[in-house]
Amino acid sequence: MIKRLLVANRGEIALRIIRACRELEIETAAVYSDADRGAPHALAADRAFHIGPAEASESYLSIPRLIEVAREAAVDAVHPGYGFLAENPALAAACDEAGLIFVGPPVDVIARMGSKIEARRAMQAAGLPVVPGEVPADQSEPAIRRAAMRLPFPVLIKAALGGGGKGMRVVREPAELDDAIEGARREAASAFGDGTLYVERALEHPRHVEIQVFADHHGRIVHLFERDCSVQRRHQKIIEESPSPSLTPELRDQMGAAAVAAARSIGYRNAGTVEFLLEGNGEGPRFYFLEMNTRLQVEHPVTEAVTGVDLVRAQLLVASGEPLPWDQPALLQRGHAIECRIYAEDPSQHFLPQAGRLLLYREPSMPGVRIDSGVVEGSEVSVFYDPLLAKLIACAETRDASIARAAAALRAFPILGIRTNVCFLIRILEHARFRAGGVSTDFLDTGGHPLCHVAIAEPLPAAALAAAVVHEETAATAGSLPATPLRPADPWETLRSWRH
Amino acid sequence: MKPGRFLVRSGEDSYPVEVAGDGHIIVNDSGEAWQIARTGPGRYHVSNGAGSWEVFVQGAAGARQVFVNGEVYELEVLAEGATRKAAPIRHLEPMAAPMPATVARVLVVSGQDVRRGEPLVKLEAMKMELPIRAPRDGRVRAVHCREGEIVQPGVRLVELE
Repeated sequence: MIKRLLVANRGEIALRIIRACRELEIETAAVYSDADRGAPHALAADRAFHIGPAEASESYLSIPRLIEVAREAAVDAVHPGYGFLAENPALAAACDEAGLIFVGPPVDVIARMGSKIEARRAMQAAGLPVVPGEVPADQSEPAIRRAAMRLPFPVLIKAALGGGGKGMRVVREPAELDDAIEGARREAASAFGDGTLYVERALEHPRHVEIQVFADHHGRIVHLFERDCSVQRRHQKIIEESPSPSLTPELRDQMGAAAVAAARSIGYRNAGTVEFLLEGNGEGPRFYFLEMNTRLQVEHPVTEAVTGVDLVRAQLLVASGEPLPWDQPALLQRGHAIECRIYAEDPSQHFLPQAGRLLLYREPSMPGVRIDSGVVEGSEVSVFYDPLLAKLIACAETRDASIARAAAALRAFPILGIRTNVCFLIRILEHARFRAGGVSTDFLDTGGHPLCHVAIAEPLPAAALAAAVVHEETAATAGSLPATPLRPADPWETLRSWRH
Repeated sequence: MKPGRFLVRSGEDSYPVEVAGDGHIIVNDSGEAWQIARTGPGRYHVSNGAGSWEVFVQGAAGARQVFVNGEVYELEVLAEGATRKAAPIRHLEPMAAPMPATVARVLVVSGQDVRRGEPLVKLEAMKMELPIRAPRDGRVRAVHCREGEIVQPGVRLVELE
């Protein structure tokens, strides 16, 4: 069993991993950059090591520094979390070389799934449906153009090493092809250092549905059902849920079996996610392989909420060589869970990321609600990292109840000092189309966008309070009597009118 | 305690608020009495007989941030009769980075004609792309940044004639 683990990450996921380690009595070592001195994740670990300047490229992304710290801390394993180096085969390889357990799949699997083209080939070979398209062996512009012309429009031009919508172009008609190919190639070359492109038919109103898989060293592979992540803004997931409102039990079984087959065919180990796009409605939706994420996902708590398992604990057990703690029949999907990602960004200003101090930050606490966060009141949100502040996960018996619970929890989650997307999340949860279920990935980028400008309720309670607070402060500085209006609620006075 | 009268401004709207001697609060001269109790640091209970709210507040006199029921209001509280001080509105330079950011792409050159809303420079910060757009139609007089450079907030990146 792993005895001491280096958490090669920051923020909420670092804290999540440290929590799982405590349960398993694994000692933890955290790393922190200049910008993260005294950050919650650095305080929570048994030991914390300074790793470099604020710029991620010289701290959280520096493999030599991480391996150095791993040696200094004398750990026997490294957990990469998500983001940063989680899907970089070089970190896994460096761990192998240093004799450290990398909590994740083998190096060659990470590398293979990291190339969209390789992944597409591997999945086709494993019998999974992939989106109709082509990887032109001849990468000249005319050849890519010809490949695109063999598909029905609209088509997508995509980068082999793409992700997050980078190096991707939607082409609605042949006249736009040349510009799109050139643009995608330039973007791919500058973002990923590789301009290799491929073409796919653009699906109509696709839903993003992914299957969580898990494999151990003993040949056992299971799936933990789906997560629907169709609510996205510019290819970034915002709200995720399980079960998916778009799946029938038959489709769920088919997709689960396909994901397990995919994991088996590539020799997968540890936690992974097979992402699919779903096209069509009613009785006949079809699913297509999109990509495989060879790591823990941001939205993993949704799966934990409906299955009752601890995925990070299982990752640590499996990485230690233990068998998976569950077999397929033991895994059940119960109730409904929703995750909302709370970002430091301003929906009224084109979602401009916000930096600054969290002057007031109070997490709600109520039945069926879990908050995974990497900040506390007083934390400084810097410009250097992802603006994710916290994830709010609500679960209940039904989808409607979990939506209502998530909205109620967001309405009780005050964050002041910097602007956040909390009110935007509430608008989505209350949107009729979202409530009906089955929105596609273009929901927010088309019909949903006016959501950021919905008129808000009149601020009467806020106005009353603001005036009272100012009045009290003025009275206090003028040296008059102690403030009367804002006295703490007197329980005796209140109780008098209660009946028992 | 002496009563007080205030004007609370929220964007374009303003609400007269009276804090009565007995601690009741009257909003919009409606006659409806509001009551407030402090329940913790920055945390209050506000009720008006018809409903009750948990309200959180922070900030200095000029600009209070108040959280109620999932919404954040940015309010300015003015004592009645007090003349409004010169507005402390930050004059956001329209063609500058709103935060420290890296210049991902420069999309214009000097002498180029641009239309209002056209992206001039693409910045990158916190893994997000931020376009800087032309605030009006015009001709680019000068570009003050180059790709890959880290720029500070408030510094003009592009000048129009």
